[in-house]
Amino acid sequence: MATGCQGPMSRRGFLTVGALGLGSLTLADLLRSQARADLKNYEAIQATADSVIHIFLPGGIAHQETFDPKPFAPVEYRGDMGSIATKLDGEKFSETLPQTAQLADKLTVIRSMTHGEAAHERGTHNMFTGYRPSPALQYPSFGSVVSHEYGPKNNLPPYVCIPRMPNVYAGTGYLSSAFSPFSLGSDPASQGFRVQDLNLPEGIDDNRFSSRRTVLDSVNSYFREREKSDNIEAMDTFYDRAYSLISSQKAREAFNIAAEPDAIRDEYGRNPAGQRMLLARRLVAAGVRMVTLEYGSWDLHSQIVSGMKNQMPPFDQAFATLIRDLDRQGLLARTLVMVSSEFGRTPKINKDGGRDHWPKVFSVVLAGGGAKQGLIYGSSNATGTEPEKDPIGPEDLATTVYHMMGIVADKELMAPGDRPIEIVDGGKVVKELLA
Amino acid sequence: MIQSTAAFARALRTSLAGLVLGGLTPTVATAGAGGPNAPDLAANAPLPDEPFAPEPAPTAGLVEIQVSPPAIDLTTARDRQSIVVQGFYADGLTRDLTRESAFTAANPDLTVRDGALFTPKADGETTLTVAFGGKSATIPVKVARCATSDPLSFRLDVMPVFLRAGCNTGSCHGAARGKDGFRLSLFGFDAEGDYFRLTREMVGRRVNLAVPADSTLLEKSIGAVQHTGGKRFELGDALYNTVHEWITAGAPNDDVAKLPKVVGVELFPKAGVLDGKGARQQMTVLARYSDGTDRDVTGLALFLTNNDSSAAVSPDGLVTAGERGEAFVMARFETYTVGSQFIVLPKALQFTYPDESTGNYIDELVADKLRKLRIAPSEICDDGTFVRRVFLDIVGLTPTVEEFDAFMSSADPDKRAKLVDELLQRKEFSEIWVSKWAELLQIRTSLTVSYKSMFLYYNWLVEQLSKDMPMDQMVQELLGANGGTFKNPATNFYQTTTETLPLTENVAQVFMGMRIQCAQCHNHPFDRWTQDEYYQFAAFFSQIGRKQGEDYRELIVFNAGGGEMKHPVDGRVMAPKFLGGESPDVAGKDRRVILAKWLASSQNPWFAPSFANRVWAHFMGVGVVEPVDDFRISNPASNPELLEALGKRFTESNYNLKSLVRDICTSRAYQRSTHRNDSNAGDDKNFSHALVRRIKAENLLDAISHVTNTKDKFGGLPLGARAVQIADGNSSTYFLTTFGRATRETPCSCEVKMEPTLSQALHLLNGDTVNAKIKQGGVLDEVMKARPTAEERLTDLYLRCLSRKPTPDELAKLTPVVSQAADQAQALGDVFWALLNSREFLFNH
Repeated sequence: MATGCQGPMSRRGFLTVGALGLGSLTLADLLRSQARADLKNYEAIQATADSVIHIFLPGGIAHQETFDPKPFAPVEYRGDMGSIATKLDGEKFSETLPQTAQLADKLTVIRSMTHGEAAHERGTHNMFTGYRPSPALQYPSFGSVVSHEYGPKNNLPPYVCIPRMPNVYAGTGYLSSAFSPFSLGSDPASQGFRVQDLNLPEGIDDNRFSSRRTVLDSVNSYFREREKSDNIEAMDTFYDRAYSLISSQKAREAFNIAAEPDAIRDEYGRNPAGQRMLLARRLVAAGVRMVTLEYGSWDLHSQIVSGMKNQMPPFDQAFATLIRDLDRQGLLARTLVMVSSEFGRTPKINKDGGRDHWPKVFSVVLAGGGAKQGLIYGSSNATGTEPEKDPIGPEDLATTVYHMMGIVADKELMAPGDRPIEIVDGGKVVKELLA
Repeated sequence: MIQSTAAFARALRTSLAGLVLGGLTPTVATAGAGGPNAPDLAANAPLPDEPFAPEPAPTAGLVEIQVSPPAIDLTTARDRQSIVVQGFYADGLTRDLTRESAFTAANPDLTVRDGALFTPKADGETTLTVAFGGKSATIPVKVARCATSDPLSFRLDVMPVFLRAGCNTGSCHGAARGKDGFRLSLFGFDAEGDYFRLTREMVGRRVNLAVPADSTLLEKSIGAVQHTGGKRFELGDALYNTVHEWITAGAPNDDVAKLPKVVGVELFPKAGVLDGKGARQQMTVLARYSDGTDRDVTGLALFLTNNDSSAAVSPDGLVTAGERGEAFVMARFETYTVGSQFIVLPKALQFTYPDESTGNYIDELVADKLRKLRIAPSEICDDGTFVRRVFLDIVGLTPTVEEFDAFMSSADPDKRAKLVDELLQRKEFSEIWVSKWAELLQIRTSLTVSYKSMFLYYNWLVEQLSKDMPMDQMVQELLGANGGTFKNPATNFYQTTTETLPLTENVAQVFMGMRIQCAQCHNHPFDRWTQDEYYQFAAFFSQIGRKQGEDYRELIVFNAGGGEMKHPVDGRVMAPKFLGGESPDVAGKDRRVILAKWLASSQNPWFAPSFANRVWAHFMGVGVVEPVDDFRISNPASNPELLEALGKRFTESNYNLKSLVRDICTSRAYQRSTHRNDSNAGDDKNFSHALVRRIKAENLLDAISHVTNTKDKFGGLPLGARAVQIADGNSSTYFLTTFGRATRETPCSCEVKMEPTLSQALHLLNGDTVNAKIKQGGVLDEVMKARPTAEERLTDLYLRCLSRKPTPDELAKLTPVVSQAADQAQALGDVFWALLNSREFLFNH
């Protein structure tokens, strides 16, 4: 519905438009439009990324065992895993990332990410919304804001979660549920993967479907004239989206991972990391604005070495392939890939051979979509305990990512009670991260 | 002992503004900024933004004036009291009459009056009469120890400065790791720690006893040196002077044993109905102490509003009306948050409430609120709408054609109430509530909860609800349960959650509707709960013993008789204390049994209202408190009187669920139409019209099976069982998950998701539920055989699915589709498919 740089369309806006369409502007609507008129206005900014692939590694992945190893720290900090050279002079990654290390010149590694929330759900909230959790208000996620600002393209849903919504903070917050993600409901790595209900049922062809739709419109019209409410409007929106998705062969084909040559599927890896990232690439290539996928379980309070050795190789292979593949297809320049987690892990190895929660400093990786290639931004100190240079908070990261998407994060959206709330409050665009 | 900084803050503001207006002499301003010995001042807050006086308050229609607080009680030379005069008008409006009223003290020698601010002059007692527009009110005045001036206290005088100036908020020094190297406890939950950090952590820096004004605490606060948080107060203002005076006196710590405690805080006026944008009301805040004194803390309280666009509040407590609407204006002082309800109406709005025959007590209370808001409710819905609504709400199914016809053809004027009674007797009614309780009690299998345990627990619940067990007894049995999870399934409550603190939080959330999680780590920022109270409540669960039974899947829960809850800050042993209640004698007793007796009883002020509110929300689509498990001072009931009445009725009926449901379903409020009128179009929480609600996952699937005449097979249940009967939260189907069935992983009301999604639309359009069920059920064959014409066939399907006949317009559109089709049965099947996909079917309305 909302496209480009149009004014804020929110759950309330949604309602008002519905009401206007039916020619009944009420007092309440008037008040709402007044409240909206008080909102800040912005010049449009040019997007450098058309789409975002957000790879979320839940549980809090250790920065030490990935993008920020501390080879010169004492062993209780360094841990038992080694480090390897990367494509960038003098910069090392953990030994868990051999393939990715060879593509370091395509990446933007932020080593000075920091926030103050050491609980999983609070940290996750920070990294999906750019806000600290508030008991008073649910904030919308990146994907829902992107849905709200851009709407669908090429008949595809603007925001897709693979395989499902990774956590509650990936949802719409105070925005209408019309901006919620489309969850695949099954894992592209599984045998016989098929997105549920995308194709017409057996025995129903396009003609029959279109006559069914006509009948449905007749049945709906009575109720539609009589009842107005936010949730009915949202349901209508999703029916409209479903129609466009079902009737577009091209859009449906985006979900068909089986159409990829075997060689490509193997290159990504026939496992959850590989196939999820491959499907994400298919989706952004077809026009999905934001794909959020999660992989693994990184809350390694004990035995971090074996945990990393089990889960990192598929990630390394898939991620490196994703970057290479996007690059090969000319998509990397306009697709932003972001790898994040709710926090990092404690500087010292604990008594169980693991690391505990550590939000004070950790790493986030960006690639493509206008991010500066081959950049290591900021640093943690010698023991990986706190940021040493250029600390960056969730609000700055979110503001920068929105900036790349052409969204001014200081723009206000309308929360219930006609409260204008900034998309992100108080963040700054980190110019150094931009190409 | 007590200093009223409120007075000084206001005095300063008044005098500075006076200078701007040119109306006051510089002497006054200097003196006003000077310190504790506040001088006589000519004017008083509130001050207008514009330099012209607002239009005078009318005297016509004035019914009564009220003076707040209800008494002036001044103790010691430092004490001050500001009063507020509120006028009540015949049309329901209120106005701030403080500045226009005449004040007459019976003995004018006891106090000095400055506008509406009173300071002590001589000990004694008298009265003050306030008059306006022919009405008057008199309050008692008492002055004691007016020659004494007690030293300032760190806890009573200095700590409030940190709260007021915002120093100890979570985004500043109240953060867990502090800010820029300095930490204060969040909202002051740890006074001793704050004292230590101020005076001992960096000796001579934060507090400089030799040169108090050089203390970084003061220099940073006034912006004299670089401060990330900017200027918090002004050199020489009341907040500054308090801190300065305390440091000058040697920054003494308090003798906590002798120190009075705040025992209550009141915000005046308690409510207001403001007439149009720009109308104002000054607030005043009174704190009461354990030594019997009180104090005007208007200048030390933090003012908040939950709806800035309707009623904004200034840092000094001046409420200014904005857009039409409701707002809850709050003041926070110490650990207390108190609030007043404000309603803002468009200026000079003309309104008459429709004359309705009164319904039951619910309707009187709903109407009271709507009259205040000047909202006219929608009319009562027609019979067809009612029968579908009440079937879906009470038994979770749509009426059959026979049930629909029987109701519609009845001429009994009392047929609605009779239908409610009939439905309450059906087993589907208790199944809905079993399912709801199963969500609250998180009945699901897990790594630790075996299928057998879960199943026994579920059946225990079924038994309780099917035999109408009074809710208090059921909850008491649950909380006080001891024994094996197989033999006494109620003990499963203590197997589901085994950690003490989450268990404590779940008990508060499920049975009292409160989220106390915040208070685990610090005083609750938006409610009254302190960290102490949290751990005192948790102490009831500190002696639960658990051991494995003979069968490895069984857990035995028993009273271990030992184990204490310790405060995480200082390791104090916390004695069990009811949340918001007293400390019972628990020596040698099972703490949980004692808690259960209090918790599920009328002594617990939250038990009945919070459960009644859950029931109300089920039928009305929105709670009187919403979300239903977030009772909180800063999240007030939309209609407190209604909530109280529902709780009272529930208690009086011996916690009988059916009688509560009967009250609700027979009220006019429940039976209103969903169609809005001009005045209630913007209202979603005062029950002025019915709300359109998507049908819950389980009920929707059951309804689809019901109208298609098909049977479902769920794991562990016989063919034909309904989705609402699934015992295990951990078992689901694609349909149920997609439509937001609760996973029961937490007891939160947010587990059930009612939001529409793309997957839902796709599943109804293309999925195997609707398409397959139409084929399987044989309804089409039946209709094709039984009804000869297209019109009759359409009518039959409409009645089954939507509980109404098709309109002539619909018949005109759909008849040709069916009658002219090559395959009539197939065309009718498409109509059936469309009916099951229609918004009218998916929503209860």
